[in-house]
Amino acid sequence: MTFNPSLTARLRIGFLVLFALLMVVSLLGVGRLFQIRVNYENDITRYFQLELETEHLRSAFILEQAAARPATAHQKPSQAELNQAAASFSDAARRARDLTDDDTALNAKLGRLIASQASWRKAVAEPLIQERVPPPGVEQRLTSAVTNSGEALAVETRGSRDAARDHARTDTRNTTILVAAGLAGALLAALILFSGLINSMRAPLGRLVEGARRLAGGDLRTRVEVGGPTEIAALGRAFNEMANSLERDARERDRVEQMKNDFVLTVSHELRTPVTVVKGFAEMLTAQREGLNPRQFEAAEVIAESAGQLQKMINDLLDLARSDAGKLRIEPEPTPVRPLAQSIGRQMRPHFDGKDQSFSVSVEKDLPEVDADPGRVTQVLANLLTNANKYAPEGAKVQLAASQVGEEIEFAVSDDGPGLDEEQLEHVFERFWRADSTETQSVGGTGLGLAIAKSLVELHGGAISANSVPGQGATFRFVLPISKDGRPTPTAPAARTKAGAAG
Amino acid sequence: MTRLLVADDSETVLLMLQRRLEMEGYEVVTATDGVEALDRLNEAGSDEPDVILLDAMMPNKSGTEVLEEIRGRGSTVPILMISAHLDAQEPDRMRSLGATDCIPKPFEWEDLIGKIEELTTSG
Repeated sequence: MTFNPSLTARLRIGFLVLFALLMVVSLLGVGRLFQIRVNYENDITRYFQLELETEHLRSAFILEQAAARPATAHQKPSQAELNQAAASFSDAARRARDLTDDDTALNAKLGRLIASQASWRKAVAEPLIQERVPPPGVEQRLTSAVTNSGEALAVETRGSRDAARDHARTDTRNTTILVAAGLAGALLAALILFSGLINSMRAPLGRLVEGARRLAGGDLRTRVEVGGPTEIAALGRAFNEMANSLERDARERDRVEQMKNDFVLTVSHELRTPVTVVKGFAEMLTAQREGLNPRQFEAAEVIAESAGQLQKMINDLLDLARSDAGKLRIEPEPTPVRPLAQSIGRQMRPHFDGKDQSFSVSVEKDLPEVDADPGRVTQVLANLLTNANKYAPEGAKVQLAASQVGEEIEFAVSDDGPGLDEEQLEHVFERFWRADSTETQSVGGTGLGLAIAKSLVELHGGAISANSVPGQGATFRFVLPISKDGRPTPTAPAARTKAGAAG
Repeated sequence: MTRLLVADDSETVLLMLQRRLEMEGYEVVTATDGVEALDRLNEAGSDEPDVILLDAMMPNKSGTEVLEEIRGRGSTVPILMISAHLDAQEPDRMRSLGATDCIPKPFEWEDLIGKIEELTTSG
């Protein structure tokens, strides 16, 4: 588009054109009406004068008649009076001629009057002046011809005057209609102009709205086609600049995130070997306690235990970094629930026994197989059970339960320990968050267990949640999908496995 | 005495493995990469070790390459692969390449000893 005026320019042009059209139409209309008025007045004046002259003609003829045939018998026809009346008739005729020269009908009527008057003079007046009597009938015929012509001229003049008035009325009405039509046309043109303006904005504005929606929806590659009036085009360019900047920021953020991930991955990986060596040698020392004095043995034990914790933390960090990088892989397979629950129960039992806690495993009968990576589900359950073991006091009850809920299998780990309040429940799955900082020392742990559990459960397409009533214990539940080609686990003779209470 | 060949590219890990395995009563020969592991095997000739422990990832020649080479010679010596891969299918992949068993890294000591005992008694 080579001609692309701004919105204000378009508006100005629109108003200017509208104003000019209105002015032109109004001036033309007013001028025309004025002209019609002037013409009408001229016509009226002319016809009045003509009527006046007609009366002059008629009275001059009466004077001529009186001169040619006096009213009383002792008076003689007077040549002089006749001539005077005739002159007066001629003057009036000349003036009337001036008034009618562009009107053929009036001209004809006037001509007939003058002609009939001339015939009358020749055939009636002149013989009478010479005291000859015109033939009977002739005088009467010619006299009434003149009278009739005069009457006809008067009628014609009145008719013309009426016609002029009608004509002026019609003209005025037509002109008024024309002016109204012109004004309506100008308004219509303005309307078309403004709707064109709005239309020229609609498409680019629509693109902007659509673009903003897509951008808000997260598609940072969104750009809009720049177009429309200058201001809208500027808005389009500004939108694209904003999108560029957002995309740049997002890329930078991704890059930093990637660097952080790579860093954690590399560091964890590099830490693994030395920790393995420290742990290995410390364990070796504790295994051959004969050669050590009690303090050396104690030191070796602490080193081995700390190295074990460090190793666990490094593995957790690696898992999380892999999860963030999308590199944490699971290998789901149809997995029977009961053996899985019993196996983790066996692994964890010594820990519960160590704190005099009663621990039970309860698996609903005839459970279908879950679609899960058994190693990873074991990891999730170990994290939940370890937490229960750590946070519940000595003598507490801890239960692991598995049941079918709709098309999913639900695992629940519950304890009757101190539980968590609402604020704590909000943060419980965050990294490095722990129930109470004062307890950190006593319970140990990395603070990553639940974050990893959440990642793993979600990788399986499941969901994890925590419920608690403070003072009455906490329950952590997670669901996993049922395997599509899985079969129900064969039911053991005892329908429900109740791993006996410990301690 | 049961003889083991242990290959790992980290010298400290290798030393730790050697000392602890010796403490458990094994005779241990070490190698820091795949090429050295094959050298030790060649030196031993027909007197093969009872079990070979190979780290899957090593410079010069990886554990899996050594594994394939040993099996390529027709040897049936039990080989335990040590792999850092967390993949659930890693053990199957290792077995398909000819490994007798596989243990993921990091491992608990008891698990390693258990696997070695399994291999020596069955072999």
